Amino acid sequence: MAAVVLSEPEKLYIVHGVQEDLRVDGRGCEDYRCAEVETDVVSNTSGSARVKLENTDILVGVKAEMGTPKIEKPDEGYLEFCVDCSANATPEFEGRGGEELGAEIASAFYTVFSSENSIDLKSLCINPREHCWVLYVDVLLLVCGGNLYDAISIAVKAALFNTRIPKVRVLEDEEGSKEIELSDDPYDCIRLNMENVPLIVTLSKIGYRHVVDATLEEEACSLASLLVSVTSKGALTSIKKMGRGSLDPESIFEMMETGKKVGKALHVALQKVLDEEESLGTSRQKVGFLG
Amino acid sequence: KRGLYRKRRGLYREGLLSDDGFRLDGRRPREIRSLRMRLGLFPRADGSAYIEQGNTKVVALVYGPREVRGPRSRSAPDQAVLRCRFSLAPFSGPERRRPRGGEGRGSDLALRLQQSLEAAVLTHLYPRSQIDVYSDGSHCCTGTTAAALAVLDAGIPLRDVVCAGSAALAEGTALTDPNGAEEAAVGPGLALALLPASGLLALVQLSARVPCERLEPVMEAAADGCRELHRALDRELRRSLRERHGEV
Amino acid sequence: MQTSRTFVKRTRAGAVVKVVREHYLRDDIPCGAAACRRCPLRPDAPAPSLETQPGGAASSLCPGPHYLLPDTNVLLHQIDILEDPVIKNVVVLQTVLQELRNRSIPVYKRIRDVIQTPEKHFYSFTNEHHRETYIEQKKGETSNDRNDRAIRVAVKWYSEHLKKIEDEEKIQVIFLTNDRINKEKALEEGITAYTCEEYIKSLVANPELVDRLACVSDEGKEIESGKVIFPEHIPLSKLQQGIKSGNYLQGTYRASRDNYLEATVWVHGDAEEKEIIIQGLKHLNRAVHEDIVAVELLPKGEWVSLSSVVLQDDGQNEDDIETEEEKENILKTSVSKDMLRPTGKVVGIIKRNWRPLCGMLSKSEIKEARRHLFTPADRRIPRIRIETRQADKLEGQRIIVAIDGWPRNSRYPNGHFVKNLGSAGDKETETEVLLLEHDVPHQPFSQAVLSCLPKMPWSITEQDMKHREDLRHLCICSVDPPGCTDIDDALHCREIENGNIEVGVHIADVSHFIRPGNALDEESVKRGTTVYLCEKRIDMVPELLSSNLCSLRSDVDRLAFSCIWEMNHKAEILKTRFTKSVIKSKASLTYAEAQMRIDSATMNDDITTSLRKLNKLAKIMKKRRIDNGALTLSSPEVRFHMDSETHDPIDLQTKELKETNSMVEEFMLLANISVAQKIHSEFPEFALLRKHPAPPPSNYDILVKAAKSKNLEIKTDSAKALAESLDKAESPTFPYLNTLLRILTTRCMMQAVYFCSGMDNDFHHYGLASPIYTHFTSPIRRYADIIVHRLLAVAIGADDTYPELRDKHKIADMCKNLNYRHKMAQYAQRASVAFHTQLFFKSKGVVNEDAYILFVRKNAIVVLIPKYGLEGTVFFEEKGKPTPRLDYNNEVPSLTVEDTTLCVFDKVKVNIMLDASNIQHQKIQMVLVEPKIRGNDVPANLSTETSSNNEPEKKKRKLRK
Repeated sequence: MAAVVLSEPEKLYIVHGVQEDLRVDGRGCEDYRCAEVETDVVSNTSGSARVKLENTDILVGVKAEMGTPKIEKPDEGYLEFCVDCSANATPEFEGRGGEELGAEIASAFYTVFSSENSIDLKSLCINPREHCWVLYVDVLLLVCGGNLYDAISIAVKAALFNTRIPKVRVLEDEEGSKEIELSDDPYDCIRLNMENVPLIVTLSKIGYRHVVDATLEEEACSLASLLVSVTSKGALTSIKKMGRGSLDPESIFEMMETGKKVGKALHVALQKVLDEEESLGTSRQKVGFLG
Repeated sequence: KRGLYRKRRGLYREGLLSDDGFRLDGRRPREIRSLRMRLGLFPRADGSAYIEQGNTKVVALVYGPREVRGPRSRSAPDQAVLRCRFSLAPFSGPERRRPRGGEGRGSDLALRLQQSLEAAVLTHLYPRSQIDVYSDGSHCCTGTTAAALAVLDAGIPLRDVVCAGSAALAEGTALTDPNGAEEAAVGPGLALALLPASGLLALVQLSARVPCERLEPVMEAAADGCRELHRALDRELRRSLRERHGEV
Repeated sequence: MQTSRTFVKRTRAGAVVKVVREHYLRDDIPCGAAACRRCPLRPDAPAPSLETQPGGAASSLCPGPHYLLPDTNVLLHQIDILEDPVIKNVVVLQTVLQELRNRSIPVYKRIRDVIQTPEKHFYSFTNEHHRETYIEQKKGETSNDRNDRAIRVAVKWYSEHLKKIEDEEKIQVIFLTNDRINKEKALEEGITAYTCEEYIKSLVANPELVDRLACVSDEGKEIESGKVIFPEHIPLSKLQQGIKSGNYLQGTYRASRDNYLEATVWVHGDAEEKEIIIQGLKHLNRAVHEDIVAVELLPKGEWVSLSSVVLQDDGQNEDDIETEEEKENILKTSVSKDMLRPTGKVVGIIKRNWRPLCGMLSKSEIKEARRHLFTPADRRIPRIRIETRQADKLEGQRIIVAIDGWPRNSRYPNGHFVKNLGSAGDKETETEVLLLEHDVPHQPFSQAVLSCLPKMPWSITEQDMKHREDLRHLCICSVDPPGCTDIDDALHCREIENGNIEVGVHIADVSHFIRPGNALDEESVKRGTTVYLCEKRIDMVPELLSSNLCSLRSDVDRLAFSCIWEMNHKAEILKTRFTKSVIKSKASLTYAEAQMRIDSATMNDDITTSLRKLNKLAKIMKKRRIDNGALTLSSPEVRFHMDSETHDPIDLQTKELKETNSMVEEFMLLANISVAQKIHSEFPEFALLRKHPAPPPSNYDILVKAAKSKNLEIKTDSAKALAESLDKAESPTFPYLNTLLRILTTRCMMQAVYFCSGMDNDFHHYGLASPIYTHFTSPIRRYADIIVHRLLAVAIGADDTYPELRDKHKIADMCKNLNYRHKMAQYAQRASVAFHTQLFFKSKGVVNEDAYILFVRKNAIVVLIPKYGLEGTVFFEEKGKPTPRLDYNNEVPSLTVEDTTLCVFDKVKVNIMLDASNIQHQKIQMVLVEPKIRGNDVPANLSTETSSNNEPEKKKRKLRK
């Protein structure tokens, strides 16, 4: 992870501030930074989103490709996560470092989305045992500036919301041989049900309290953090402890509660932005990286 | 193998140039794709640039000049070391590419990038330091131009802004700045990196079979594209500087 | 670049990948109207093609000046009308062109040619890239709907744009569409729209155009009227599934020539070709000869065998389907079980291969009727119903008709009249017919093609001299038949310092003028070969090249491709080199002139001495070639002059062959072999070569048996043995026998073909006994030679290569086409000879001539009449007459008719006359006069009567119906 070198007094300043619910940048412990979200930024993906959370800059592309269902789940499609922590995000990723972090983040997302109903995988099935849609979710870390997990989860949700999968029909003749036919109308496509797609809220333990949306500096002061994935209804889908420190059980429950609260609010805020953007339709002037 | 041949021929037959002289996307043979760009979009990097050329989108970042990391043997006593990386997003093509850890195709493109930049960056001003350039995009030429802009954004002195462009030969006509469909049909053709002020070439790479006597018009077309690119860049640069710092 | 462009992304969902292509919209696309001052014109742009005062036919619907704007279907179906010179000032939208290209390449090419013809004033408007006419597909809109809308938007734009022209008389834009809904929508949007029919009918001054309207009915409507005769065709998508799963078989439909209720389908596939019989009108299900169809096999119980019944479709009435069924029953003769073959029915059409057809009108018996049946010259094509008001005029004329469709309730396909070729029997008309029927492209060269020609006056430039040797100082001359204007070869020969001889073959450098991929090149490859008919030559390349710039005439500088050998006096090659060159021929001689020079002792000029040297070398070379086992099937006393390479008779008339003929030929063969070696060693994967496979031994059976019947032995184990045994096969009592044997031998041969070296292993040329061969020496009249020239030029670094040249699949595809074109050219040539023979006998009347039996068949003999070099068949079965007792002996071979036995090589006397009873299929009829056969006696003086009797008899039959 990107290292920020802080001196002891600097750390102390941050810890004390958190204690007083006043963080270095003026936020309270449960306040999020201002995030910029834009979808449909990469035209040749099925869905894409770019999220900018202060310095953290993330680009997610979802590509829907035809594949075969997994043997144990013949009537479902599946998602593949891949996180590319290339060295351009921060020079520290040079060599193996980036790869390890990428694998770690990807595995976290597999866990988060492993819950039965986070995404309706059955809707991704084209015909059982033979064809299904595979959604490749590729995360590109452009600049790494703290709170990666949350930012990525926002970008992933936005990209999935933006994803449009072409509708296909399976033609079957008497013999049972199947042919896949694509629709001629580019607007004729499947959208994913976003109701249960979770967002991740990382709660970093700093001193005796915990903060959400930690900056790089705050992350340097935190020994342990808790990853909580929350659906828009406030249901927890997974919890994961991160970092080398330890947490006492009581504070975990506390953190979960905060996570739920913040997560729900985050869902509402994100959904509002996405809906607004969608209502503009094709007339929307795309900003992308030019803004 | 047979399948590939069929596919190529199919595209060929479609005709890359209409009878009225338009290309598939509506350009004339010597026109470049639409260009949009921005500098300094990532404050955490020392320099950064973004270029959108047609459907090609490239982000370039520069870290440095700074102290050489790792063993001292990597540093040079009289100049800065330029280190370049080139990566492609898994979703950059029409079909998803499996990410291949760091190296792979990227390294070849990185070498081209490095060659183009070394000719332009005044490395002797920064002995014993390194400049890391990262470029991220699907098109090598656009990547090179973006990287040059990022170096510029980092405030590192350059001889000239490297403008890279390509041209391909289709049905006897040289096409400036071929787009994806055209490249798929006739191959990548000729890539140039031009230093516009001096008119010198920092990179010449021909990766298609072009008859010797056709090389000149193809070269001309590519250089034309580079110069056109330069004019557009110049306009954009002045505009963005004016926006950021008022009249220059 | 100065223009501002908006950037619009357009997604095209391919298989499953999302493809994004850039699409630029522009402001600088002109409208093409000459009067328009608003549209920007680029300095290098051609002048606007739409006239200020649109000429063309006057329309009663739209009397004012107007431009036409047809939609895709109008172009696709009514191209015949749009090509008429009367139709001018038409805007062709890019949307329409793109749709057209996807639907029919031939029509697309035709319309492109029209656009390039300045007199037609057609303009192609790039509407998809025009800022004001580009539209995006809307939600819920199919791409067809979107394109229809794009066309309407463009029409609307045009009418508004043209209103702004400051002229007293405003030019209107008329939208032509046959689509009802589209027309309604257009009218709603305030667009002037007519159907093509409405518009053409309004051209009061040109009523003849109406006939040429294609009758295309909406698919849905056809069921409304009349009884459904045919089962429905299964849609293509289902057919493809069915073919994949093996329920249906895909194949080429081949109608029977003799029986209109029968056809076979050749099933495609890697395995050996399988043939499926289709029998009966309903099973044939509207398939037309050469269509690609899907067939479903019938259960084994319903299998049949091919019947030997001849059935001509002569019904005029549509409704007598019952009689058809009766006829079908005739076919079902009982045959033994092992004769049954796979039988099936056509369930759908994969691809129609309809082409314009030559034929004649069978005028309807109903007076004033407009619907008539058309009988194609090709008996495999069903009759076609057309609508015409000029039936009286067209009767007895050869006409062209195009098929438009075949509804389920119609006994015959519907078509429309395209062109009147002239009266049947007329020389010009018949030539046109035979060219069309043999698919010989013979239209005048299009503007696009002619624009590729060098500008006159032409001279050799500095640039041309690059990679070229100046050989103008050499004493080069050409030797050709008299009257030859396309001289593609010239020779020189001189002694060099070391005492050896330098011989050069100089071939016209056609590939210098025909550059790969341009319109001229495309046209030449399409033609493949120059076709020589009895009185006409159909050039492969425009005349400027064939008879001027490429023709190696004397005393002018010409570009050549030279093959130069250094030989010793034993005609052994010591060195071979190839170079592009400039030559100046010193003399264009005929064979006779050259021979005369060689023979006359008084002449000793440079030309004559080099001719003598060449002649001497040629003789040595020829002997060596024959010793190696090359076949010489030409023999001075044969009336057929054989091309030693193709073994085709070149000439029918007696022709004295001079030594000089074989001298030129010898050096051409040598050049071809040398070039073949060079290009193959340089490009082993994609050299274009020519091979002549050895015939399978069984081919010779007939020859061996025939010789045996005359107590002669013909050895066929090798070409050499064959040549030698043929030489020995002489009969002192029957001097003509050897000639007959040689003629028979040619019939045993295989076809020589072009092939790509990377796709084949067997290169051998049997007839020439050469391990490798190609065509290099006639690039003016054969396209294969042009490719060989290009390959050789690349091999010696004198020219550039291009991707297609190095693609063995493309070379192989090209060989396929060239072989087809050569075959068709040959057939056309034979048909032309046959026609001229008919003309000859028409004027000559009925004659009796001596003949020899060449072949014996089960019910006929094939005879050769040496006097005319004519071959014909004498049948012993005749319609309406009792069949004589026939006994065929395969061993001798002989045929016993009643009591008379006829053997191969027997001398007989035949009666020859022209049978003109069927005006469309006139033929030479031969009847045996000597030896006399009981019950078959046709005295010479009676035969004239019989032929005239035929006519009324036929008419009577018709009336009875």
